[in-house]
Amino acid sequence: MAAAPIQLSVRNIHKAFAGKGPEVRVLDGLNFDIHEQDFVSIIGPSGCGKTTIFNIIAGLIEPDAGNLVYRGEEVPSLRGQVGYMMQKDLLFPWRTVLGNVLLGLEMRGVDRRAAVDRAREHLHAFGLAGFENAYPKTLSGGMRQRVALIRTLIMDPGILLLDEPFSALDYQTRLYLEGVLKQAVETFNKTVVLVTHDIDEAVALSKRVVVLSGRPARVKTVHDIDIAEHSPIAARSDHRFAGYFRTLCGELDIQTEAKQPETTAS
Amino acid sequence: MSVIAAEKSAALQQPRPASRKRSMFNTIVGRALLQTGAVALLLLLWQFGVRIGWISDFLFGSPSGIYVTLLRMAGNGELLSDTSYTLFEAILGFIIGTISGSIAGLALWYSIFVARLVEPFIVAINSVPKIALAPIIILWFGTGLVSKVALAVSLTAIVALIAAYQAAKDADTDLQALLVSMGATKHQIFYKAVVPSTIPSIIATFRINIGFGLVGAVVGEFISSQHGLGHLIYNASSFYDLNTVWVGLFVLMLVGFVLYYVIDLVERLLIPWKVSSAVHQLQV
Repeated sequence: MAAAPIQLSVRNIHKAFAGKGPEVRVLDGLNFDIHEQDFVSIIGPSGCGKTTIFNIIAGLIEPDAGNLVYRGEEVPSLRGQVGYMMQKDLLFPWRTVLGNVLLGLEMRGVDRRAAVDRAREHLHAFGLAGFENAYPKTLSGGMRQRVALIRTLIMDPGILLLDEPFSALDYQTRLYLEGVLKQAVETFNKTVVLVTHDIDEAVALSKRVVVLSGRPARVKTVHDIDIAEHSPIAARSDHRFAGYFRTLCGELDIQTEAKQPETTAS
Repeated sequence: MSVIAAEKSAALQQPRPASRKRSMFNTIVGRALLQTGAVALLLLLWQFGVRIGWISDFLFGSPSGIYVTLLRMAGNGELLSDTSYTLFEAILGFIIGTISGSIAGLALWYSIFVARLVEPFIVAINSVPKIALAPIIILWFGTGLVSKVALAVSLTAIVALIAAYQAAKDADTDLQALLVSMGATKHQIFYKAVVPSTIPSIIATFRINIGFGLVGAVVGEFISSQHGLGHLIYNASSFYDLNTVWVGLFVLMLVGFVLYYVIDLVERLLIPWKVSSAVHQLQV
């Protein structure tokens, strides 16, 4: 994996928000690289600015300083090239499952019939055939998040930005969706950046884990996770899993000990 | 309110699970029976009061007199003609006012600058009782149909505008952010996220505005007209013909009632993704 070229490089990003008092510095010279077909998890204390990083990469907000280099070119943001998935599934309630999956393709002006064919294939592959005309309201949380994942994947984005996508789900559904995600990412050769509170999830899924310090966020360490198992459940019983888990917990604890102790899962 | 309170106290008095059982009147047929029964009782008391002289026939009319008048007016076509005039004015005013108001309100989403600029003017216009404009509108648009439609438009447009603008402002920003990350243009965000999410609020204003449409038509007819239910009511009351006044009022009520359920139907057709809130109301 070390041989993979760098796909996205986040360089010296600064971002502060105006608060009631002095402005709050959220990101203070953030640097990290994402390789081609990488699976990177970003963990850090809550409120350290993980979502802000994603918003900058996706082009929803502008950094105060610093830049993004994508495949060798400096870009203002990756707007239109990322697949952004959040904790809320953000399905459009007035669109059916099929309509939601088609959203991104409509935005690109893909031919309707081709888009529908592709959407049906994806829905079938993810076990959602037969739900094309259902409204999101009638689906379970796990199914809704699966629809959101399909909507993200069908656009064939350069990078998937996953912001705690499974944290609102129960543990069994989460394990299942982690498997679905991992498999999909390997099938479609996608690069993934995952923000999570869940150290367990980070170790089970990622190739690398970036640990951030508390606000203002800086990269504290980057750990390579060397677990050969592909399925997230099998990865959890790998003999190195516990070691990684303990190391990462230790690194986060330093940040959280002074304040109230925080659990790993949200 | 009182109904809920009564149900609550009834539930408190009988904490047994059996008290959860729906009463035989709490069905469609049962409710309809109770409702028609209440109306019939009221009419009977009224008629009885007139008969024994406690209620003045001259000042209040009587159910039997109303019935005779209704049959006569329905028979000679007078009622149908007046009703269709008022209905046409109200619906036309409602459609023009609601559509133009909603479009203007949605368009304000496009520019925060323009929205902030015009906001005090909208508030100012809204704070004028629109009925006060009626005399000028009659001066400008004459005593015919156009002035009634214009009055109905003036009443409905501002309500629709404010509701649509507010709904557009409240549209889920996370959904919009998602579209931005997908590379959407402002146009696409407007059509794919903002407009659909305002539809429920806009349809909610239909319910209010269909009533305002009728108000505009009837008030316009009060001031000056040769046709319509407003004209009928106003004329009859100046002759102390209370039975005819009641006929006009009841027909207006019926018209409003039917229009309300038409809107209900439109709502269900336009927003099938929104489950009716009545079904999900918490039972206490």
